[in-house]
Amino acid sequence: MKIEKEPISGQYGKFKIDGIDYRIYWEEAGQGIPLVCLHTAGSDGRQYRALLNDKKILEKFRVVVFDMPWHGKSSPPENAKVGNYKLSTDFYISQIMSFINGLELVKPVVMGCSIGGRIILHLAINFPDKFRALIGLQSAGHLDPYYDISWLHRQDVHGGEVCGGIAYGLMAPTSPESDKFETMWHYMQGGPGIFKGDLFFYKFDGNIGNEIKKIDNSKCPIYLLTGEYDYSATPEETKSLADTIGIEMIKMKNVGHFPMSENPKEFLKYLHPVLNKIS
Amino acid sequence: MFKSLIEKNEKRSQLSIMAQYLNTCFMISTIEHEYLVNIENGVVKNVEEGPFVMPSYIFKLTAPKNEWLKFLQHTPQPGSHDIIAMLRRKVLKFEGDLHPLMSHLLYFKLLLASLRPAESKNEN
Repeated sequence: MKIEKEPISGQYGKFKIDGIDYRIYWEEAGQGIPLVCLHTAGSDGRQYRALLNDKKILEKFRVVVFDMPWHGKSSPPENAKVGNYKLSTDFYISQIMSFINGLELVKPVVMGCSIGGRIILHLAINFPDKFRALIGLQSAGHLDPYYDISWLHRQDVHGGEVCGGIAYGLMAPTSPESDKFETMWHYMQGGPGIFKGDLFFYKFDGNIGNEIKKIDNSKCPIYLLTGEYDYSATPEETKSLADTIGIEMIKMKNVGHFPMSENPKEFLKYLHPVLNKIS
Repeated sequence: MFKSLIEKNEKRSQLSIMAQYLNTCFMISTIEHEYLVNIENGVVKNVEEGPFVMPSYIFKLTAPKNEWLKFLQHTPQPGSHDIIAMLRRKVLKFEGDLHPLMSHLLYFKLLLASLRPAESKNEN
């Protein structure tokens, strides 16, 4: 039987992050300008499968997607315990920089969604000269809690079920059901407390106030794209962020919080022109 | 408005497997009207419309009628497409013991969404 093979290859490697060894899994495809993609809170790199299979992008870009420690196929560190995972801004920056340095990627483009869309702002503030460009999907400078996240990790509630239920609602009713289901499924497979631990960064530690004004778009071009159905990082919040930086934002119709996985066909219509500008 | 939750349809019958151990009673309020919904093993067994004198329920979802109408459109607008989106806009309130709701969150989202019309009409 002949199978349809994808151009993606996966690998494991040991990376030192803040002095501790982590076994990290990543996937990549294509050649050219490195494009590092950051997945959302509580999920993993599978969210970027459509990009890793997009012939047009792969002609010019080496797309690289890693699973954050504790996520997907990347392991927790030695002596880890359930319940003690909490993503801080510093640790998030460290893992991204360790990964980029470990793979010897020179001036990559970094694209992140949700928590990834927030961390690219921190990268823009702290290391603008290290990147060719930064792309924020569903970016907002800060987010005040609007539901009680303790529900995401309680022993009397199935974590996969509740995290999946939360993720499902963040997607557009117009996105294809099969893609929505797969996006939700990634959430259902997350480890106990991991989504909640990531949200510590998203809703508390990673919030940015006036520091946004330090972002200098002339040092490193920034592109912000947000789906209209996202109620976590709303288009209005991205617009406010873009206004502060002094750039235009792109509002994507018919998608929600997970554009790259909930409706890749629609998302790529918006992403291709951005990548053309960067290349 | 929510009485038809009792009617059998394909969407709802497929949902019961997601909540086969769920037995609860919850209230949906449009502020002017109230609906008491009884669920047994994931199946809606009864929907009673108020007014009630001493209703007993586990949790309650309250939103103005116009907000529920927006939620119940075939293709809801952003911010009206999900109960957590409505919570975020502060137009929907969750009250009571939320354990049955949060432990079956997707089930309740899909149960309420099952009231949306199968075909799109002029929704403006």
